[in-house]
Amino acid sequence: MKLSKKVVLIGHFGVGKTSLFRRFMDNEFSEEYKVTLGVQIKKKVIELPDGRELSMIIWDTEGHSNSIEDTRKSYLLGSHAFIYVFDVTREETYATLHKDLEYLKKNHAKVPAKILGNKLDLVNEKEIAQHLTSQEIHFDCLTSAKTNKNVQNFFSELAKEITK
Amino acid sequence: MTKHQDDHLHFNPQVQIIKISYDGTIKETDNNFFNWKKNTSVFDAHPFFEILRELERNNDTDKKALNFPCIHLEDSEVAKICDVTFTIEKKEITIILFDYTTKYKDLNQIAQQKNESILLSKQLELKNKYLLEKEEFKNSFIANINHEIRTPLTSILGFVEVLEKTKLTFEQEELARIIKRESLHLNSLIDDMIDLSKIESGKLKVVEERFSFQNLIDGFRESYSKVAEEKQITFETTIDPSIQEYLIGDRTRVYQIINNILTNAFKFTEEGKITFSITKNYQRTNKTSLNFKIEDTGIGIMQENIPHLFERFTRFDTDKRVSGTGLGLAIVKNLVDLLNGEIKVNSEPEKGTTFNIKLPFKFEVIKTAPKRKKKKYTLPKSKNKFRILVVEDEEITQYLIMKILISTGNFFVDIAINGQEAINYIERRKYDLILMDLTVSKIDGYQATHMIRNNYGDKFISEVPIIGFSGKANETAKDKCIRAGMDDFIAKPFEQEELIYKITKQIAKKAAD
Repeated sequence: MKLSKKVVLIGHFGVGKTSLFRRFMDNEFSEEYKVTLGVQIKKKVIELPDGRELSMIIWDTEGHSNSIEDTRKSYLLGSHAFIYVFDVTREETYATLHKDLEYLKKNHAKVPAKILGNKLDLVNEKEIAQHLTSQEIHFDCLTSAKTNKNVQNFFSELAKEITK
Repeated sequence: MTKHQDDHLHFNPQVQIIKISYDGTIKETDNNFFNWKKNTSVFDAHPFFEILRELERNNDTDKKALNFPCIHLEDSEVAKICDVTFTIEKKEITIILFDYTTKYKDLNQIAQQKNESILLSKQLELKNKYLLEKEEFKNSFIANINHEIRTPLTSILGFVEVLEKTKLTFEQEELARIIKRESLHLNSLIDDMIDLSKIESGKLKVVEERFSFQNLIDGFRESYSKVAEEKQITFETTIDPSIQEYLIGDRTRVYQIINNILTNAFKFTEEGKITFSITKNYQRTNKTSLNFKIEDTGIGIMQENIPHLFERFTRFDTDKRVSGTGLGLAIVKNLVDLLNGEIKVNSEPEKGTTFNIKLPFKFEVIKTAPKRKKKKYTLPKSKNKFRILVVEDEEITQYLIMKILISTGNFFVDIAINGQEAINYIERRKYDLILMDLTVSKIDGYQATHMIRNNYGDKFISEVPIIGFSGKANETAKDKCIRAGMDDFIAKPFEQEELIYKITKQIAKKAAD
């Protein structure tokens, strides 16, 4: 049977979800900021290390202003993974991280949530990693959609994890 | 599907209805905007519909109806933003697409503006933070480099003074004079850099003090008359007699402004004359505005260069014999702005330049104050020489101070290379004065002073006069020394006379107590 997995990008507005989405899907990047209203969905077929093919269906959702609870509940239904994106340069985008993760755990207990800090190109990687750790922000990956740093690798690892 | 929905669909072209089987095959569609074929898979129409597989897998299809608002749907021909409803029935699923593209695009514009303004203010905040950090780094860099340059400069200037007192040939005398002149130039360059850095970082505070304006102008008249004589040009000074003798303002900065302009006028005038006139613009209650006009018959400035005259590192002359860093006029402009004044320049090549500077002052209607003269001090009579402890880690400065003090024939000198060693020395021997470098290692000058003042019952130790000295010469350095318990402060590079004066003063004061 053909493998198909739904992955939802969530997080505050302006953190770069759409940039990550475009970088992963089409390897494109634009400096121009464009609000995402609702959700845009695309499919990308990737080959897994064991030769199987996976259709990754990525839902790029509208960013919220306060917490994940603002995200429309129906968008989260039937997900195989959540990617919680925050902006490493804006503390308010990870200030509600713990609360948001609790919400996801409570309502989607079986769905893994990956934490991703984006806009790495604007900061010093070592310094921001230390800063985040000191703030008890545990992240899975730091990326730059602009420079493509760690983006493809992150999605490849995620694909492997959700197809185990 | 409800009756209401059904009616709605028939009359609303903005709605498309698709009926599919549970395996996703399209059984029926009105193709109102998406032209999807019967008997094809809805999963191939758009990846959004893959959600149906997941809902079925997770038994979420138990729900009778599911709504997905604001879904971006597109195929090769059409792009819509729709609210999508799945109505799950026994044998089929009805999908209804409500086209709200126009409404959502309008909402999108509002959200775009709102989010953009928030992100922009955040970006500005970040940029501001970055600039502040950069500025802080620059200032600390300048302060540190200043310290590093001043230390060897102190030695150079000091040794030149020592050298000048030895027997020298005419040629050697000339060489020593050049070293001194260049070192003093370097010293003033450091001062310029620090001033500019302070002004730009907003750290330069305007001081309001009462000072003799007449004395200030007399000083210019006296020193520049000598220069004029050497250059064989005329220097004329006129002052409006109605200007108060004593004014309230920042004397140091006023001096700096006028001195800079006069220096430039003399630098670029080889013949003719320089006139310096001060007139009153207005006077109200206790306020007055003065105009300082400095007019020369020098080389002048090209018209197109005038707008760039006050920019940093701007030099228009190509004559390398005329020294300068291009910082002087940038400082002048910044200082004039800081004092709420105005500066204007008119110039014509080969004819000369005129600077007009308007500066505000305050004044008090009081009688003239007596002139304060520097009080003279002499060392108390003693059979023995006075013993000085010099706490300094730089070998060259140690040697210089030792040479200066010993050459007077009045002092014995001990050297401690850090604060700890200084403490050891004072416990073993009585000193008449300590010269304390503020940045020595182990225990710094402030800490060492604190220990001397507080840890000893023996007054000979706890009340020994201490003079702090440092290359980090700023307005607060002296205050900081006094607060730390020292008696005075001397900035590097110091002049021999100043050093001896301060030492003599402290020893004399202690003896008088």
